[in-house]
Amino acid sequence: MFAPWATVLGYWPALLNALWMTATMSVLGFLFAFVLGLVGALSRRSRFRAIRFVAAAYVETIRNTPVLLQVFMIYFALPEAGIRFDAFEAGVAALAINAGAYLTEIIRAGLQAVPRGQLEAARSLGLEPRDILRSVVFPQALRTVYPPVINQFIQLILGSSLVSQIALKEITNVSQTINSQTLLTMPVFTIALVLYLVLSNVTALLADVVARRAFKPPLYPPGRRRRVVFVDPIGQMVKGG
Amino acid sequence: MGWQGILNSSGILFAGFVGTVVLSIATIVTGTILGLLVAVLRTAHIRGLGVPLRIYLEVFRGSPLLVQMLFIYFGAAYLGLRFVETFTAALIALTLYEGALISEIFRAGIEAVPKGQREASRSLGLSRVQIERYVILPQTATIVLPPLVGQYIGLVKDTALAAAIGYFELVREGQAIIDRIGMPIEVFAVVSVIYFVICYPMSLFARRLELRTLHP
Repeated sequence: MFAPWATVLGYWPALLNALWMTATMSVLGFLFAFVLGLVGALSRRSRFRAIRFVAAAYVETIRNTPVLLQVFMIYFALPEAGIRFDAFEAGVAALAINAGAYLTEIIRAGLQAVPRGQLEAARSLGLEPRDILRSVVFPQALRTVYPPVINQFIQLILGSSLVSQIALKEITNVSQTINSQTLLTMPVFTIALVLYLVLSNVTALLADVVARRAFKPPLYPPGRRRRVVFVDPIGQMVKGG
Repeated sequence: MGWQGILNSSGILFAGFVGTVVLSIATIVTGTILGLLVAVLRTAHIRGLGVPLRIYLEVFRGSPLLVQMLFIYFGAAYLGLRFVETFTAALIALTLYEGALISEIFRAGIEAVPKGQREASRSLGLSRVQIERYVILPQTATIVLPPLVGQYIGLVKDTALAAAIGYFELVREGQAIIDRIGMPIEVFAVVSVIYFVICYPMSLFARRLELRTLHP
């Protein structure tokens, strides 16, 4: 009964490495994605039409094609044009470019949600444009943006499983290898599912703890046990996420 | 060769397009039915169903679709279920995954209907099924439609993962063409354009619906 599980768990060093690979790839991908999202959001509000157009084209192209195709494009196709990545770099790049498009829209909506009066007040106080962004707009936008951004981070962690298809040894790829070696499908993929569930739930919990400490007033009324992430889809939709 | 090669492969691309469309439409039907069912059962607070449904949602929303698909495809072989080939495995996995996401959309829509509606219909003597069918669900339509269309866009893109278990849809056929004639940039670009042509109109439609809900 437990022998198959023991056999699969015997692969723990490989699984642990895979978990680490998924985690580092996701964190790195997310950092780049956030920068892309920030630049994208500011570009979509740019004074120059050309910049707005480029940002919009980026967002629409990425959001209307599958991630798997983007991964393949970067790993298999770009080398033809002389741009060469190893599997890890390609994975991080694909995740960053993909999530960056969604974060662009999330951050843009967050910036838009800051009341106009705030901007006018800051300007009439004589603040520099850069200071207005830094000390007036961003702190307020952060509140609206935080839940959907964390949500996007969790989506990115789950989406990193696609990078298994370009032979990077992360959780899904290693599970497939163990499966083909042992044919113990049930234990192998159950363990993979559990690893992802742990990753996504730990991220959600950490995000919740951070939110409770960082935001004053709290994001949600106190006493209500509500998780910050997995925001209800309609609320997110209305906010434009 | 060159673009001529891609032109000559247009039959294969079309087969992939059909594969993607068939899997998408099948999943839209089954996923929506499952999502609606789960949402109604969850909001009806039926004792004994709450916990299992919650577990279903947490597992399928908290883990990658690709792993679910591999699990079902290889798992069926492991259990000796021969009839589960690539299409069936992809359809089952996509239905369970999209059903979980769609059920949350319906749930939010159902919860947005004022409580008095349910109480009034009960006092009029309507049965539980009648209340859902004639009172609650019709009122959720305008709220639910924009995110639902948004979810369908995601669904169409998610069908690409079926390539990983060997179902012949656009990405997989694209790879097959590249195996024969090379030119990965051009072939993947063409495949991307086909996805864009399917998804972008849906995005525009979703945005229009969304604006209509916000400013009726």
